Amino acid sequence: MSKQETLYQAINQLRASIPELRGAIVASSDGLAIAHSLSNGEDPNRVAAMAATALGLGKRISESLNAGSLTETSVSGTNAQIYLYAAGQKGVLAIVAPAGANIGLIHMEARETAKAVASIL
Amino acid sequence: MNPLYDPIASFGTGPKPLKLVVAGPVGAGKTSFVRSLSETEVVGTDELATEDIGKTFTTVAMDFGTLVLDGQPIFLFGTPGQDRFDFMWEVLCEGALGLVLLVAGDKPSEFSQARRILEFITSRISVPFIVGVTRQDLPKVWSSEDVAEYFGLPTAQVVSLNATRSTSSIFTLIHLLELVGAYQLSESFVSSDAGLAEPQNGFGQQ
Ligand SMILES: Nc1nc2c(ncn2[C@@H]2O[C@H](COP(=O)(O)OP(=O)(O)OP(=O)(O)O)[C@@H](O)[C@H]2O)c(=O)[nH]1
Ligand SMILES: [Mg+2]
Repeated sequence: MSKQETLYQAINQLRASIPELRGAIVASSDGLAIAHSLSNGEDPNRVAAMAATALGLGKRISESLNAGSLTETSVSGTNAQIYLYAAGQKGVLAIVAPAGANIGLIHMEARETAKAVASIL
Repeated sequence: MNPLYDPIASFGTGPKPLKLVVAGPVGAGKTSFVRSLSETEVVGTDELATEDIGKTFTTVAMDFGTLVLDGQPIFLFGTPGQDRFDFMWEVLCEGALGLVLLVAGDKPSEFSQARRILEFITSRISVPFIVGVTRQDLPKVWSSEDVAEYFGLPTAQVVSLNATRSTSSIFTLIHLLELVGAYQLSESFVSSDAGLAEPQNGFGQQ
């Protein structure tokens, strides 16, 4: 299986285990979309760039405040929450969950997926 | 040497910091420019580049540095270069009082991208700008005059520099500040910094 196929398998698995997710995307840490599954027709290239920007800033904030290396960062709106997980040095996994979703469960699954993504990249 | 600017200590007193933005294509020297000028530790967001851009790292969010020039605190924001980060150009340019558009003088194939970036920004905010032609220390670079012609700008609005050298970068900054009207190059400033008196590559061409 190619790298990309393996990545698609990982995000499809994540979406299957948490059906309420509105989307998941894997991007390189410099903002290129690698594998994506977005339900609402968002532009994956744009989402990938924004995920890399948010994670990049998060990393600097985390370092500056002596929080260690960044594992995840999030953006919450009234309708949905976006979680961005570092996937090693090279990638980022972003997921979109509706407001009120079970975050504990999401974190558990998505952190595993991020680990898998890191090892694939 | 200028005293380090402490925004907390100077809150509400003294001159307000001037927000300047550095934009331009990938590899133009935006991060180098901010790093060569900042007197405080630069907040950088360079990540491993996956595309072949002729270097290992690329900026994904911003560069942030500060300096004080003749008592005027300056906040410098460097932008990412790729189109996919154009939302950051908008975010970072909000409230900017001046813009430095950098282009690599040895990469004329990227001038059109530089022009698109300039149009993107100036169509959204009206901000005084200068064009800086970097890599003047390398052979076969376009002169500032040629680049001015390319952009259809007065030659006074285009300068040559080596973005990795602070003495060179500071002249570019002063040029922008003069355009913005926020700064007059004072005698004391020139003579107080011996480095500035030394002729730099690129400046002889003006
Ligand atoms: N010789 C020389 N090298 C330069 C000059 N300006 C930048 N460089 C080099 O060019 C490379 C790219 O510079 P950066 O400052 O990372 O470019 P950037 O515009 O921030 O690029 P992105 O963040 O990827 O958009 C670095 O290796 C710098 O050392 C210059 O004026 N002269
Ligand atoms: Mg940069």
